[in-house]
Amino acid sequence: MVRLITHNLLACHVKGCTSNNFPLEFKDVQVELRDAEFNSDFLRGFIPKIEWKALVDAARQVGNTSLPLELPEMLDDDFLKSLHHVLLEIHVEEGSMTCPNCHHVYPISNGIPNMLLAEHEIG
Amino acid sequence: MAPSVTSAVVDDKPEIYEDNHVHDVYDQIASHFSSTRYKPWPIIANFLATIPTGWIGLDSGTGNGKYLPLPLERPGSIRTIGLDRSLPLLEIAKTAGGVIRDVVWGDILGYGWRTGAFDYAISIATIHHLATPERRQSAVQRLLEAVSLSHGRILIYVWAIEQDELSKRTVPSNSYSSQNGQDVLVPWVLDQPSKESHQPGRVLQRYYHMFAKGELPGLVIKCAEQMGLCIGASSDFSTGGYGVEIIQDGWERSNYYVELRRWQS
Ligand SMILES: [Zn+2]
Repeated sequence: MVRLITHNLLACHVKGCTSNNFPLEFKDVQVELRDAEFNSDFLRGFIPKIEWKALVDAARQVGNTSLPLELPEMLDDDFLKSLHHVLLEIHVEEGSMTCPNCHHVYPISNGIPNMLLAEHEIG
Repeated sequence: MAPSVTSAVVDDKPEIYEDNHVHDVYDQIASHFSSTRYKPWPIIANFLATIPTGWIGLDSGTGNGKYLPLPLERPGSIRTIGLDRSLPLLEIAKTAGGVIRDVVWGDILGYGWRTGAFDYAISIATIHHLATPERRQSAVQRLLEAVSLSHGRILIYVWAIEQDELSKRTVPSNSYSSQNGQDVLVPWVLDQPSKESHQPGRVLQRYYHMFAKGELPGLVIKCAEQMGLCIGASSDFSTGGYGVEIIQDGWERSNYYVELRRWQS
C-alpha cells in the first residue's frame, strides 16, 4: 500500500536523476482511510528518521493538514495520534507520483506503487 | 517422483533470461507458491526479533510477504516494507498476516529509495535468481546503500549447493566440486499429469544460482571493497570512516546466510 510512511522513503531512480529527486509529488490520488493499530513506541522510535517537510507536504497533497510545519519538541498524545493517522491510516489507492527533478511518473494502481523502470532508464 | 534439478546455461542477456526463467514463473505460480511457504527460518526470525522498536526495514524480494508480520511477539513495533518484481505475489503480500502491509513493485537492482533510508534490510531467497556474478554483486550493493551508514543491519539468504538431506531436491552431482556455485533449473509442477485425459503435467523451470561455500561472504567483501568500506569491526580501525562488519555467516537448511552491520566512526 502507498501510505505516507512508504512515500517518505521513495526517491526517483531514473538514470542520472540523483539530486532533487525526493520527495515524489502525488497527483490525481484516490485516497481511502483505514484504521491501523496505534503504537506510540514505534512512532517515538521512528520520528528521528522522518523527512519532516516531505511528510507535511505529502499529507497536504492527499488532503490532510493536521501536521505542524515544524516537528514539535513535545511529543504529546494528540500529536502522536495525528502522526499515526498521517503515516499509517491514509492509503493512496490510485494515482501517481512525479519526480520533482526529471518529472518521471510512477503510477499507483490498486494500492501498489510501480517503481519499475525500463532497461534504458536504469542507472 | 518429483522432476529433478538440471544444469542451466544462461544463454541470453541476463535480464531477458531472468524475465523468462524467474519473473514469468513466479507470476504464474504465485497463488500456489504462497500456500506452500510460510515457516520463517530460525535465523531470520531471530534477526527480526532483535531489531529495535521504531526501526524501518526493507524486504528485498518479499514474495508473498511472509516476513512482513515479524516479529510476532511485538506486532507493529517495527515496519518492514516489501519490494518484489511479481505483482501477483505483492497482491498477496499486501495483506500478509491479515494486516495491511506496505509493498512496492520494483526491481532489487533498482534504487527507488533515498540513500540510507532504512535501518535494516533482508533479502531472503532472492539474489540467487540473478543470472550473473555482476548482477548478484549489484544486488548486495543496493542493500548496503539502502540502509543507514551508521547502524544499518542486513541479512541475506541464498540457496546453497550443499542441500539438506531432508530436502526433496537432488542436485547434479558434478556441482560439488564447483567454487563458483552452480547454475540450475528447478522444476515447479503446476499441474500433475492426468491419467484419464492423458494430459501431460505442466512443469515450469525456475533459474537458480546455487551458491558455493564462501561465495556469499566473498561477494559481500568484493562489494564493500568497491564501495571503499572498511571490512571488519569498527574497533579494529583506529582511523575512523565507514565500514561493514560480517556479524555471522553460515549454512541453515540448504541455504547460506550472512548478517552484516554498517558502522561509522
Ligand atoms: Zn527523477
